[in-house]
Amino acid sequence: MGSNIKIRFKIILYLLVMILIVIILRLYFLQIMSGELYAELASKSITREKTVAAPRGNIYDQNGKLIVKSVPVTAVAVEPHIVLKNEDVMEALSGCLNMSYQDIKEKLEKSDASYIDRVILKQDIDTAAIIYLKENSSKFPGVEVIDVYLREYNFDSLASHLLGYTVEIDEDRLKSKKYEKGYEGGDQIGLTGLEEAYESILKGKKGRIVYEVNPLGMPVDMLVETSPISGNDLYLTIDIDLQRVVEKILYESILEVRQKKIKNTDEYYKVPGGAVVVLSPKNGQILAMASYPTFNPELFVGGISQDNWEYLDNPENYYPQINRAVMSSFPPGSAIKIVPAYAGLAEDIISERSRLNCAGVWLGLGKDFPKSCWSSHGSLDIRGAIKNSCDIYFYQVGYGLFTKYNNMEELLQKYLRIFEFGSLTGIDLPHEDEGLVADKEWKKDYFKDQAGYSVWFPGDTVNMAIGQGDLLVTPLQMAQAFSILANRGIQYTPYIVKEIRDTEGNLFPDNSREEYKDLKLNEYFVEIIEDGLVQVVGPGGTAASVFRDFPLDRIPVAGKTGTAEIEGKQDYGWFASYAPVGSPEYVVVVMLEEAGSGGSNVAPIVEKIYRYIFNID
Amino acid sequence: MIKRRKKSFSDFESLDKKKRRVKFDFILFFLVIAISSFGVLIIYSATRETLPGGVTDPQYYLKRQAIWLAAGIVICVAVQFINYRKIQRYWWLIFFIGISSLAAVFLFGYEVYGSKSWIDLKFFTIQPSEFSKVFMVISLAAVMSKWKGEKVYRVTFKKVAISSTVALIFVLLVLLEPDYGTALMYFIVYIGLLFLSGANFLYLLSVLGLTAGGFFIALKAGLIKQYQLDRILVFLKPEVSSEGAGYSLYQSRLAIGSGDFLGKGLFLGKQTNLSYVPEHHTDFIFSVIGEELGFLGAVVVLLVLVVIVWRCFYIASNSSDSFAMLLSSGIGFIILSQVVINIGMTIGIMPIIGIPLPFLSSGGSSLVSLFLGIGLVENVYIWKEVRKDYEIAYQELK
Repeated sequence: MGSNIKIRFKIILYLLVMILIVIILRLYFLQIMSGELYAELASKSITREKTVAAPRGNIYDQNGKLIVKSVPVTAVAVEPHIVLKNEDVMEALSGCLNMSYQDIKEKLEKSDASYIDRVILKQDIDTAAIIYLKENSSKFPGVEVIDVYLREYNFDSLASHLLGYTVEIDEDRLKSKKYEKGYEGGDQIGLTGLEEAYESILKGKKGRIVYEVNPLGMPVDMLVETSPISGNDLYLTIDIDLQRVVEKILYESILEVRQKKIKNTDEYYKVPGGAVVVLSPKNGQILAMASYPTFNPELFVGGISQDNWEYLDNPENYYPQINRAVMSSFPPGSAIKIVPAYAGLAEDIISERSRLNCAGVWLGLGKDFPKSCWSSHGSLDIRGAIKNSCDIYFYQVGYGLFTKYNNMEELLQKYLRIFEFGSLTGIDLPHEDEGLVADKEWKKDYFKDQAGYSVWFPGDTVNMAIGQGDLLVTPLQMAQAFSILANRGIQYTPYIVKEIRDTEGNLFPDNSREEYKDLKLNEYFVEIIEDGLVQVVGPGGTAASVFRDFPLDRIPVAGKTGTAEIEGKQDYGWFASYAPVGSPEYVVVVMLEEAGSGGSNVAPIVEKIYRYIFNID
Repeated sequence: MIKRRKKSFSDFESLDKKKRRVKFDFILFFLVIAISSFGVLIIYSATRETLPGGVTDPQYYLKRQAIWLAAGIVICVAVQFINYRKIQRYWWLIFFIGISSLAAVFLFGYEVYGSKSWIDLKFFTIQPSEFSKVFMVISLAAVMSKWKGEKVYRVTFKKVAISSTVALIFVLLVLLEPDYGTALMYFIVYIGLLFLSGANFLYLLSVLGLTAGGFFIALKAGLIKQYQLDRILVFLKPEVSSEGAGYSLYQSRLAIGSGDFLGKGLFLGKQTNLSYVPEHHTDFIFSVIGEELGFLGAVVVLLVLVVIVWRCFYIASNSSDSFAMLLSSGIGFIILSQVVINIGMTIGIMPIIGIPLPFLSSGGSSLVSLFLGIGLVENVYIWKEVRKDYEIAYQELK
């Protein structure tokens, strides 16, 4: 063999060594240097994670009556990014689920695939379809048959404003921070009421299944399996029987008032809406809370239909979804007078014995600004002023509060705030309205573009003293103020959820409920006001006729009528009360929109509620 | 002259029978059997759960490969009884068998993955292109070695012309199946042989140039489609997509990469056992090794294969004549080119072309033809010693 060939053999040998080095280096890079990365990629590429829905917690009333429960239904969930690519699957689903191909396509296209990895195509599918889909799962890549939990309401639309409802989470919410963790497409979320406020408590913890799949996506091995944990149950302060009666009385009374004409006109009262709050002054528990018009939360189960949604959303139907007791505020009218009364006494504007004169017109603000009263009451003391709801008496109190310290301290507003107006009560319901207690600063800001209006006038305070002007309160705030009065200054935060229990019935520790605030009110002044409130329902009071047949001797009631004027609308009627005087157990506040006099049209509702509560025929 | 040659042959044959000196390369033989047995085990690991091809017996591939291994060993040993010089003399017969078996594919063959490269023999199937690589090496070694009349061994233009024609026939037949991977391997083997034969670089460059020209024309003429080229060259893209053409490569890299230093353990490879890596028991068997036995296992396997190749070249460089040298080198090139293409493909440094990993990939034709090749290398080794004895005896006789 020539030397030439020997050299070439050597070259081949070098080549061999080089190849060896290159491959080993490459292997080193793949396996040692990026081994962990590839290991992670590898395990990701062969494992799939699936969640198992957790039953949502139930809601019970104070006596343990089940109001809302979770029921499992079978649903077809699909991964849009897989199914949209596969026309055959959509075609087959269309036949199997009795949905049109176009509907399926639209529903899937609507969801942004980068955010929504699962869309519920149809809920509550029939058994035949379930069996078919399960048996032919290999023909339906990206399609899953899952259990979802839907709400079932044992009392129809009762307490719907309090309960709220659940809906399937949408894309925007999925993207939001609030629903960042633990939510995926197809989940039910609480949207209003307690369902929203207690979402994190009610929703439970999803189960998780991690399994290995083969390249066709068929599961081959289970790696992790955790069972779902049911959501916790809520036990409410609401007495569902009382709630039913209250809602019924409210509804029937509104229909009655709608039959009445406004005095001296041919116009009927509109009464588009109303609200009732029944709470216990002893602890702030809401025993019943009603708002009219109402809606049926069952409409939302499994997705609300377009027609139903349009109905609920149409202004002509007066926004049935709004809980008027908490989410809206209204001018309180004379019902607010307990506050100027207390303020007047506390600030020495008036005294127990001092009398002020009502001649029907009051010119305290000057001849150019005559202020009238709804009647001519003559000489009145504070008790009589409350009993008769004399505006001129309270104009003078308001004026006195204004002139003291030159309104530097805005005394009326100060006392309104002491009675917790103008701020959230902190009730455990979402979207609470904080109302409005206007003051100099507010006015300056509100009218900053209209220089002439931005000054606080004495008339502003005077108007506010009879519950007019820029004073807005929610029925719940009114109830709270009367509760404070009934309690001689002890204030509890109103609440609806009494207890939270897990599925085994273990109580969640929650001590916040026992907290209260002592507002340090002068008890004697409170008693004077209470005397006046008792007289309101007594002979000659503004609600005397309503309570004529009520056994006041046995169940003494303290109450205040209110009739608020709103420009361009009929009067808003109020009646705020508590009973029995002496050891008050119930605060009942009712407000009706555009229903005229609180004394004649609203007080009857309260009277009926007390009749039910105290078992009076 | 002819008479004397005949006499001398019978002489050394009888001499061999008398002496019975076994000069066998046990290193090569042991390594080949060891790696093939290991292959049987790995194939079992790769197939016992996924059962490719719709079989129901988890040990189907294990048993089959073991039988083929036994057959391979038998053939390897049987080949030793024929002096390679006889093979050299009847090379044309082998050439004929080679090309006709390749041609038979077009008549009796059936397609797998778009390549018509299999013949069904009822009890088993064979892939003639696997055996033909050995036949081609024999044919090429015969035409390129020292011819009868030649005084000195020299690679002439004539030899290059004839040998390249022989190679071209084989390559074209395989290309027609079409089996581009095998064709590429044939080409590499021929170039390797041409290089080791001591041929002038001018010849080497001409062959390479002509091939490149032919490839270009084929591309222009539309015989090779652009998408086929893209598919083959997908490995060049730094970010391999996990779908389409890059899928196999992506999954293979995941499998090997996830093996880390010691691997996941035999039988415990997830990627490969769950069939994420396609063809994991045949072309992608190295992914299984990389995943289950890690860097260490992969390097050991690689080293064994390289030592086997080195053994072939070592025997070639120490052989007694040019045919023996070219024959043994040819087998070395077969194994080397397959190892480089196959492993390179699974780790993303070579195009994805279906070439089995020698001794390890599942498949009888590949294994048996390799054992045949190893048998020929051993043959070169054994009969070289005999020749030496013969030469000594001849000298004594004189």
